[in-house]
Amino acid sequence: MSSADQPYIDPSEIVLEDSAAQRFKNHRVAFWAGMRDAAGAPAMVLFAGMVGFGAMGKTNGMDAWFTTATSFFMFALPGQVVLLEMAITGSSIVAIILAVTLTSSRFITMTMTLFPQFHEKDRNHGLYASVHLLAMTPWAISMREFRTIEAKHRSSYFIGLGLLCWIISIPGTILGYLLAGIVPPYITLGLVFINPLFFLLTFAEVKPWINRIAIGLGFVLGPFFFILDRDTSLLTTGLVAGTIAYLFDRKVLRKRAGVMS
Amino acid sequence: MNTSLQGWGLWVALAGATIGTYICRAVGVLLAKRINQESEIFRYLAAVTYAMVAALVVRMVLMPIGLLSTVPVWIRLLICILSIGVMVSRPTHRLVPALLTGTLLMLAYGIIR
Repeated sequence: MSSADQPYIDPSEIVLEDSAAQRFKNHRVAFWAGMRDAAGAPAMVLFAGMVGFGAMGKTNGMDAWFTTATSFFMFALPGQVVLLEMAITGSSIVAIILAVTLTSSRFITMTMTLFPQFHEKDRNHGLYASVHLLAMTPWAISMREFRTIEAKHRSSYFIGLGLLCWIISIPGTILGYLLAGIVPPYITLGLVFINPLFFLLTFAEVKPWINRIAIGLGFVLGPFFFILDRDTSLLTTGLVAGTIAYLFDRKVLRKRAGVMS
Repeated sequence: MNTSLQGWGLWVALAGATIGTYICRAVGVLLAKRINQESEIFRYLAAVTYAMVAALVVRMVLMPIGLLSTVPVWIRLLICILSIGVMVSRPTHRLVPALLTGTLLMLAYGIIR
């Protein structure tokens, strides 16, 4: 590998190419591999996020059933936080529903980018059930891992991954609810910081320049649109920054050789 | 209305929020059937999604609600930069050390402040 006539290749790319041919023997192996991948840092992170949410519910005087039901039925932390915040400050039911739905609008594009990578025969009505398992964490991991997983095993892998993430979020919320008031504030501080940090760190693994530009523009334009209008800011930032990144990629980057696109 | 939502109103809000969230997921499935992974629209939507997630992250770091807002913004940014530094110090798989660095630094700040 390290002979002098070998052109420089990123070592991680070599591993990717090798394993791309056949990573899993069958669906069951892929399913459990997804579960295993979820059981590491990502599930720990999600678990911590849910613990933080449970603590938030407790400290704001919500009952345990409501707080836990939120994780079970919604399984979307940003939306859950919006729901809790607005309920506490006494917003109208209609306003809450609209705001949460807008926060969840990212699932439309997340699903549209992830599910077409499944094998043709896996793209059936079952997707309407498994889509509930799609949240930011399983999406980020799948987008990264799918490059090295053959299409026919991607669905099983995703279900294993998403199922574990969803299941552990329930005890996570309950634990946070029970712990609140017992642990000192500095531990809670560490817990609430895990979520944004994890999402930030996954950006470091994004390779294509079009997506890197989109992320950079999202950072810059996000606060601007947030000040302009809180509730729709995610949607407008995504559309504006994504469009600029796409056009720049199409008009400039693709015409240059050697740029990964 | 200035008092917090109580009783059944809370559950109605949750039901609506759940349905709204599921509709977004289902619409994604519906539209996903019509696009090919390699198509231009796929590249475009991936860019839109990454930008949206980036906006969510920058909101959580720069303009957080609750406990995190009690931490000065430069401390939050400094910890983010240090964690990214750990992350990119080697090309592969440094997520857990980077995550631990950031979390423990935040915890340490909480103790000494």
